[in-house]
Amino acid sequence: MKLLYTLLIAISTFTLFSCSKETSTTQANVMNNLLTNKNWYLDYSITEATNSTTPVVVKSYVGQSTYFITYLKNGDTKDSDGITGTYTVELINGASQIHKQLKTGNGNPFEVIYNIISVGESNMVLSKVVTGPATKLYFTTK
Amino acid sequence: MGLANTFLHRVLCIFLLTIFVGSTVHAQTLTKKQQDSAFLLHPGQERMRKIKKSLAKAFVNFTGNDLSLYGSLNLSKQKINDNGITAPINYLYNSLNNNSYEAGFSGGFRIDGMFKEKHLYSFSLGINRIAVGNNYQNIYSLAPFIDDFTHFKADNVFTTLNITAHYKKLLPVNDMNKYKFYAVIGPSFDYKISSISEENLINGAGNRAIINGDFGGEFDNKGYYVLFAHYKYGVNIKSSSVPIQLNRFEIGMSIKTKDLF
Repeated sequence: MKLLYTLLIAISTFTLFSCSKETSTTQANVMNNLLTNKNWYLDYSITEATNSTTPVVVKSYVGQSTYFITYLKNGDTKDSDGITGTYTVELINGASQIHKQLKTGNGNPFEVIYNIISVGESNMVLSKVVTGPATKLYFTTK
Repeated sequence: MGLANTFLHRVLCIFLLTIFVGSTVHAQTLTKKQQDSAFLLHPGQERMRKIKKSLAKAFVNFTGNDLSLYGSLNLSKQKINDNGITAPINYLYNSLNNNSYEAGFSGGFRIDGMFKEKHLYSFSLGINRIAVGNNYQNIYSLAPFIDDFTHFKADNVFTTLNITAHYKKLLPVNDMNKYKFYAVIGPSFDYKISSISEENLINGAGNRAIINGDFGGEFDNKGYYVLFAHYKYGVNIKSSSVPIQLNRFEIGMSIKTKDLF
């Protein structure tokens, strides 16, 4: 009987040690982990423009050697054009976004916000938040 | 590596705690204070004694109750429906979906007895280390660039605490005085005690409790040991954005503790 009591206490302790729950930052953390410490090469850029009757898709192939961007674990970002800055992954009203505080080569600060359409271990689709037609950017890590 | 360290740390803590409690309850020599205390009234102890008596009365119809140790091999597969995930995350389908049974193991205690000298039963309490193959029910694509992905990455190795109650029916097979074959059926309950990854917590997908329906067969070799094979069909108890069906085959053996120790 004493052995059973001992076992019961041990199992209760094990269970208490193991609690984990979803928090407000869980989704952002997971997306951040998928994003960081990789070179994301821009494969395609698609701008969806609309005329009076039907949408017109303007697809442009960028090519992997042309542009890439890196998001580092410490919150820094840099791209192949030499633009550096910091970034955060945020959930705003249910939308997942990357907020970037950047500086040009001349040191002029500017902010860019991207909506995350989808992010994975080797594929990412972002949408640039600007007025007018949306531009979708397709990245891979290959 | 970090997860492994955390797991080892927990196992170490429980081991130390078990030794501590075990050594405390087995101490034989009484101190002066304890000897004095033995002559005093202890309402707490009296209450415990009454509770034990009433439990003995309540379970008077449960006879036999042979305590055994059991160990088993588990083959597990889970069906995952990630329709409820809204997070914009993709995992390549082919790298996650293996749709096969993976091997894990279980161990614990089991009590075999008889209710009202008529109905055979077994209760067991154990710990399962489950490795599981994944069968994702939904495939998504983001045309024309990302093909075949899922929104969810299920944990494929986890530990559960398991409680089982089985009803056993003796089958009229062979010489029943020597070899006994049983058909068993009953519910079991699993509770995940290992940590859940962040990927599994997104959009309220995390779910620790699983209820199973079990059935199977058992072979008792003259009371020396019992070989058993069970099938367990499990579902989440609480509603989840990612309902999971856990299918398991359990093959193992139990031996009475009085034969072992």
